[in-house]
Amino acid sequence: MRVYVDDKPVDLVPGMSVKHALIRAGRMAAIAAGLKVYDAWGHELGLDGALADGMKIFVK
Amino acid sequence: MKKFRTAFLSLFLLLILAPWGYAGQVDLKILYVNDFHGFAEPYKAAAQEPPLGGIAYLAGAVDRARVKPPCLLLAAGDMIQGNSWANLVRGKSTIEVMNAMKFDAMVVGNHEFDFGPKVLKERMAQARFPMLGANVKGFPALKPYIIKNLQGVRIAIIGVVTPETSVTTHPRNVAGLTFSTPESAVKKCLAELKGRADIIIVLSHCGFQADRELAAKVPGVDVIVGGHSHTKILQPELVGRTIIVQAWEHAKALGVLNLQIKDGKVAGFDGALQEISPATGAANCQVQEIVARYQRQAGSRLQRVIGETQVDLDGKNVRTGETNLGDFIADVMRQTAGAEVALINGGTIRTSIPQGKITVKDIYAVLPFDNYLVAISLTGAQLKAALEHGVSRLEEPSGSFPQVSGLAFIFSRSAPAGARVKEVTVGGRPLDLQKEYVVATNDYLVAGGDGYTAFGEALKSAGDYANLGGTLTSSKLAYNDPGAWLRDLVINAIQARKTIAPQVDGRIKAVD
Repeated sequence: MRVYVDDKPVDLVPGMSVKHALIRAGRMAAIAAGLKVYDAWGHELGLDGALADGMKIFVK
Repeated sequence: MKKFRTAFLSLFLLLILAPWGYAGQVDLKILYVNDFHGFAEPYKAAAQEPPLGGIAYLAGAVDRARVKPPCLLLAAGDMIQGNSWANLVRGKSTIEVMNAMKFDAMVVGNHEFDFGPKVLKERMAQARFPMLGANVKGFPALKPYIIKNLQGVRIAIIGVVTPETSVTTHPRNVAGLTFSTPESAVKKCLAELKGRADIIIVLSHCGFQADRELAAKVPGVDVIVGGHSHTKILQPELVGRTIIVQAWEHAKALGVLNLQIKDGKVAGFDGALQEISPATGAANCQVQEIVARYQRQAGSRLQRVIGETQVDLDGKNVRTGETNLGDFIADVMRQTAGAEVALINGGTIRTSIPQGKITVKDIYAVLPFDNYLVAISLTGAQLKAALEHGVSRLEEPSGSFPQVSGLAFIFSRSAPAGARVKEVTVGGRPLDLQKEYVVATNDYLVAGGDGYTAFGEALKSAGDYANLGGTLTSSKLAYNDPGAWLRDLVINAIQARKTIAPQVDGRIKAVD
């Protein structure tokens, strides 16, 4: 499964979550600093949220 | 005579009021939650944030919303598995709460299958509300849909779950089951429901992106109440003529969707998420009592003795060298996954256990993180690179230091990082850099945690993702069980053996 974190592609195993994508993209520190994760439509996502192939998420 | 008068009056009122309500306008309220995952108590997502959630507070909010009926209370899946409040009783606590809250329907999420079909059937028998799964074949207890009649409005509720369920839980949990695409399942239900329902609600545990696709592809669905992606949809979304909602996660929000129904059609809508916390209103006392009772039970279960160790189990030195506890956990992982090798980061293991009885709580302290077992095919070169990374930071104790099973290796402390691994054997034979080995690890390392890149590189290099009926597969993926925490696998292994006495056997050796 390939998803995009701030437009950077990351490859994950099916069943992995937002948290895994952030670890792969090296963005967990930003979450610890108080930033949140949003989908392409601007909705906030929980870190345990399921991902879909091709999904784009953003740390803001 | 009095009974006759009462019955006559009731019939009269029904004849007068029901058609008036229907022909005029019926206001319906849909209350919804998703992805509760057994998070019964409020919690802080970050130290600086206030606590959110609490199922008793959510139940209180539902009570207040129900003051003005008619209402439906729906759950969009992943309710019974996750937090230890639910896991220690295999979801029984969640169903008891949901019964007390008088849910109208729930769709099964992928994690509802994590305790196996037998437990799911028990939970369904315990539930006083229907569980839905229109795209699950081979599980007849799951209904494809139900029809509710609220003030003369016939509301069909169809349930669909992600087809990826087949590869995101242990295969034994879904043996004999097939998951068709939500699109085909909903189309089939719509054909069956023609003329039998005014309003169509799809209760979907497929994720927001999939819900949008479903709304775009399948006309005739009025509302999709979603889950799976833990999406915080503050205001209902509209795709075509389909309203899509989802209420975040962990009982931190209650979704409220108001529908104005006129002539059997949605004439208007509005909605919002109500954030839930101890500060947002009174708790439901009955639910609060259930939560507390299962908390006490969880406490008792954590104290349960699962076996005995004849030696001290060293979780203190896992960041600098081989330890018997690191060996034991890695062995359990390799054996459970049927892999040739296991490799985890020492940082996964957080504490030691002294010689004597072992309780569930001891293992929770050793493995406090919600990590699960994954096995990936790595080439010998990738495996060696992973080991090199594991011993690349020796200046101070490092969480990335590896604990292994199925292989032995020697590393040089004095050699430069990246060239420290001197000799590797797998199953007693020299590592073949070209050969592929199935390597068990945890999800954290597969995602690149502690700087491990080998697993991600293997997945990326395969480039063979196949989308089979909505299910993604890869030839590199040998084992994947997000539904069982690593600590539970270790607990099971100790219970099965009763007594353990692991010894450091020299599988990791340092030379200067």
